[in-house]
Amino acid sequence: MDRALFAAATGMAAQQANLDTVSNNLANSEVSGFKGASQSFAALAAPGERGLGTTALGEHVVFTQGKLERSDGPFDLAIDGPGFFVVRLGKETAYTRDGEFSRAADGTLRNALGWQLAGITIPADASSAKVDASGAVTVTMPTGARTIANIRLAQFAAPEHLRAVGGTLFYATGQSGAARLVTPGANDGPSIRFGMLEQSNVSIVESMMQILAAQRAYEANAKGVQAAETPDQWKIISTITTGSTRYCLSLSDITGKKHSDSVKASNVF
Amino acid sequence: MDGIDWASSAMVAARTRLDIATGNLANVSSGGFRAVVARGRLTAHGAEITRVASSEHGSLVHTGRPSDLAIVGDGSFRVRDGGGNVTDTRNGAFTRDRSGVLRDDAGRALVATRLAPGASVRTGYLETANVNAIAEMVDVLGAQRSFESAEKVVAAIDGVNQKAGNDVARIK
Repeated sequence: MDRALFAAATGMAAQQANLDTVSNNLANSEVSGFKGASQSFAALAAPGERGLGTTALGEHVVFTQGKLERSDGPFDLAIDGPGFFVVRLGKETAYTRDGEFSRAADGTLRNALGWQLAGITIPADASSAKVDASGAVTVTMPTGARTIANIRLAQFAAPEHLRAVGGTLFYATGQSGAARLVTPGANDGPSIRFGMLEQSNVSIVESMMQILAAQRAYEANAKGVQAAETPDQWKIISTITTGSTRYCLSLSDITGKKHSDSVKASNVF
Repeated sequence: MDGIDWASSAMVAARTRLDIATGNLANVSSGGFRAVVARGRLTAHGAEITRVASSEHGSLVHTGRPSDLAIVGDGSFRVRDGGGNVTDTRNGAFTRDRSGVLRDDAGRALVATRLAPGASVRTGYLETANVNAIAEMVDVLGAQRSFESAEKVVAAIDGVNQKAGNDVARIK
């Protein structure tokens, strides 16, 4: 398989990965607390040769702040600044920026998936509750107002290395470091906004532009594949990257015959 | 060198141009990528293409992430992988690991920022590839056309040679 075909085919595979990421962002742009992901790409290179092709290095979640919007749920919470709510389901602990909680029959605050906000139980005879910027939960009891608990937020040394489940729920990993609990409301730290929800940090307009750009780039690379191999219609079966040293590509022509090739790229730029 | 050598060197040059243009197009989304420019010249051995790295800067896009860095002006980020290999790159898409070290998406640690006089680093921005996708696509088509033209010239010369070999030799 020749160089031009290889380069163009890796370009098509990369733009396909790009489209998958951006489409997933767009699909979740209305989900509160959702954090969009971004794909990154690097050029493959061997000694003396640059631009052998490209490789997708994988996606990472982008933890920029979403817009805070007033909402009408009685237990809607939003975080202004860095940090996560600590939620539990059975023995599992996860972290989320989605603060859309509601009061369950047992007095716990749970999100739509049933995860419970750690450490908070609203007494059965409380008529209302509110949360201040420092996370103090105050309930109105027949006997008067009473602060029952404080919501603490989790922070991580490397939040980009949390494992994302569905874009709103995150698990701690060895690479992210363990959760460090902080009390919100301090001068330079995060604070809690009661009666508000954080919107996703995905911009619909920006995502649409990214989809258009990825489609254009995909088409341009497809033209390259055509120019390199005019008689056949090639289809990408798989692309495999192992470390940054070897890039394998498997293609099939119009008859379904498979062609595999690998480029030994010593580096990525 | 006779005609067929010239024409076949033109075919090789056209393939090289195609390799370069497709390589550039593939990297249209690779952050900080510098396009390869095809420089053509005529030598005693026919047409020859040399690869030159473009020094034009890519455009800066705002990301808002504090660990994204972009160089304004000349310079590069020096990154080191687990095996101690050092690479200079313009791609400043870093994330902080749990011990506070900035690492790129291939897991390499940022060890130095080398800046030319007057250059500076901007946080919250990334440099895009400096590939002009439209120009590269035009080049893909151009390379394809020149390959086909050179192929026709080879076929024509081959036809003449065949005629010389078969018909001219037959004259009594």
